[in-house]
Amino acid sequence: MRFRPGVLFVHLLLLLGGLVMAFPFYWMLATSLKSPQEALQAKPVWVPERMKPGNWLKAARLGDSPLWGGLAPGRSVELVFPGREGHPPRALVPRTPGAFFDPRADGTRVEVVYREGAWRVRLTNATEEAFRFLPLVVLWPKEVPLAAPLPPDAIRSQGEYWRLEWVNAVPGALGYVLHNYLEAWHAAPWGRYFFNSFFTALTQVAVGLFLAALAAFALARIPFPGKEAVFVLILATMMVPGEVLLIPNYVLLARLGWLDTYYALIVPWLASVFGIFLLRQFYLSLPQDLFDAARIDGAGYLTQLFRIALPLSLPGLVSYGIFTFLGAYNALLWPLIVTQSPEMRTVQLGLQAFVSEAGSDYGALMAASTFVILPVILGYFFAQRQFIQGIARSGLK
Amino acid sequence: MRTFPLHALLSLGALLALGVYAFRLGFLPWAWVGVGLGLYALLVLWGLRFGRHHALLGLGLFAYWFPPLAFLAPLLFALLFGRGLRQKEQAALYGWALVWPALALLLVWHVFPTFYAFYLSLFERVNFLRPAAFAGLENYRILLQDPLFWKALGNTFWYVVFTVPVGLLLATGVAILLNTQVAFLGFYRTLYFLPYITALTAAAAVWRWIYHPEFGFLNWLLGTPGLDWLNTPKGVFALLLEPLGVQPPGFWAGPSLAFVAIMVMSVWHFLGYQVVILLAGLQAIPKEYYEAAELDGASFWQKHRLITWPLLSPTTFFLFTLGLIGAFQVFTQVYVLTPTVGVLQDTLTLAFYLYNKGFRDSDFSYASAIAMVTFLLILVLTLIQRRVLERRVNYEI
Repeated sequence: MRFRPGVLFVHLLLLLGGLVMAFPFYWMLATSLKSPQEALQAKPVWVPERMKPGNWLKAARLGDSPLWGGLAPGRSVELVFPGREGHPPRALVPRTPGAFFDPRADGTRVEVVYREGAWRVRLTNATEEAFRFLPLVVLWPKEVPLAAPLPPDAIRSQGEYWRLEWVNAVPGALGYVLHNYLEAWHAAPWGRYFFNSFFTALTQVAVGLFLAALAAFALARIPFPGKEAVFVLILATMMVPGEVLLIPNYVLLARLGWLDTYYALIVPWLASVFGIFLLRQFYLSLPQDLFDAARIDGAGYLTQLFRIALPLSLPGLVSYGIFTFLGAYNALLWPLIVTQSPEMRTVQLGLQAFVSEAGSDYGALMAASTFVILPVILGYFFAQRQFIQGIARSGLK
Repeated sequence: MRTFPLHALLSLGALLALGVYAFRLGFLPWAWVGVGLGLYALLVLWGLRFGRHHALLGLGLFAYWFPPLAFLAPLLFALLFGRGLRQKEQAALYGWALVWPALALLLVWHVFPTFYAFYLSLFERVNFLRPAAFAGLENYRILLQDPLFWKALGNTFWYVVFTVPVGLLLATGVAILLNTQVAFLGFYRTLYFLPYITALTAAAAVWRWIYHPEFGFLNWLLGTPGLDWLNTPKGVFALLLEPLGVQPPGFWAGPSLAFVAIMVMSVWHFLGYQVVILLAGLQAIPKEYYEAAELDGASFWQKHRLITWPLLSPTTFFLFTLGLIGAFQVFTQVYVLTPTVGVLQDTLTLAFYLYNKGFRDSDFSYASAIAMVTFLLILVLTLIQRRVLERRVNYEI
């Protein structure tokens, strides 16, 4: 094949645009792996320490389990700082600010000894309970060059010393890399949020699909009196923009006593005009002979629907399913209006609340954003073709 | 001999069931339910002429206590005695029986609310704390003089003017490049498409971080430290013309910098959708046209101006309409990026104003008035657009 410079140009343009499109994702991922000090830099840190494989290995040596770390009662961990004798560092486990009793600060034995050309900070769990996180502060004399066993999460100057801070001295590899994720996950009942979102979205898809399939089949394949009127009515509802429905549907839900329940999240969006149209289009494209043959064999309308029309319109069902799931999973406005209690929040609402509560903890915020979009992104990579076709189909007349 | 119109009874039953529910919730006076029950009873009585087993249909009269019965009774009857039905009757019965579940939901959650919103908008401050007074079109009169409403409308206008052409232009460019049989098509498509399936809440959270005044990536990139994108209410035209000493007044100062930041994020988010739709449109154009043009010695621009553009116009038209309607529904991005609607409410959109009025000020009637005006605007705009633009759209390939 002849090499064309035009092709290179096309690739260059596409790649440039693609970089711009993908950059927010990279920035989200990178920030989610940053310590607060790394995140809050005027000059951006492109590759945070927690992204470097060398540091994963270092972190794997700290803590009981190489993956998740932790410190069981009676066990100890040793952090090795190569240095000179005569300039001892100081080490302490900081107290949680405002805590009346802090088992980690009170129950950890800290020893600093010099052996074989290195200062060793030895932390021993003297309590009865296991620690998952063990914060550590080391004051390192400024005149001695520093080689830390794990890059500190923050370095500050404190008089003669560098104040080195670790949010967790016993992280394990995954505990080190995913620190912000763990923090974000434990900050709110995300499990509940995810359940709410998935339950809402999947119910909408399943029931909505069933109802749309019934109605679409009737509209496409059964000649019944009044069909045109029904069709026009359904067409007309398409003209009404969603915001018109917000207030009256809210009032309706309030009168039903359904506010702050799953009904409120699911029921108003079960019947979908889009779904009815999409499936009707599919059923219309099936050859009439198929249905005639079935009728001659004695198949009723329901048999025709469930045995012939539904299986043959699988791509349409998948399109509709993906579209509805995305709409329900990504919705913010409707859940915002109809739910009040934290137990009824969907993930988007939880994330929104987290945005306003997290303050300047951008690492945790980006971690939360990452795991909120993760299910959809994973779904996309598993069913890429269906996603693209499903979305493209929404644009065809 | 005429046969009993079972499908009519079925439909009446469905309406009756809805009516009883509406009566229970206080939306419908008792008289309507009475009329419905009377009609139902008359039909059943008439049915007795066709055979005594039609008495089973009388079960539906218990709808007052258990509403679905009015719909289920004819279905049960059909199940028991449906064998003898002729084909036409069967079609009528099945058609309506399959359509009604979806239709009932549409009536309750889409059709009724549309009228109810209008009804609500005629009252003085409905908030269910006290009986509301009828106010006629007073809400609309106030609305037309409400500076915030005009602000929101202006922002919607700018949103259309900025995002629709920019988005379409970029998307068309990308789609044309992707359609050149470029290698790694799937990879590039994924790059451009991912933002679209990302939840707007999460995407906006990421962009909020990118726009951060002190530590944001954008300020580092542009070398504008401290520029608070999301809290700058000054219009962009005013900002651009400032060095020239020109001070455009009011509306002509353009959308605020904060709103432009929101628009940039929105273009990024929706670009992938437009690319996928346009790519599908491009792939539908027969290759022979381009081959013929190449034989005639047409240049790249000529090919795209004379073949691609006219043949792609239905798709572009569809996306244009979608963008136009979408502009009236911008909410999530604004809610996450500027929760307090920016400085001086400079990022107010119609959907946000509706939300503010309805759910923060609990003024449901005024919010409904906003909704109705939005509805009317969208309706008029789509009609005008159809008249003016659709003539230039070429549907034939």
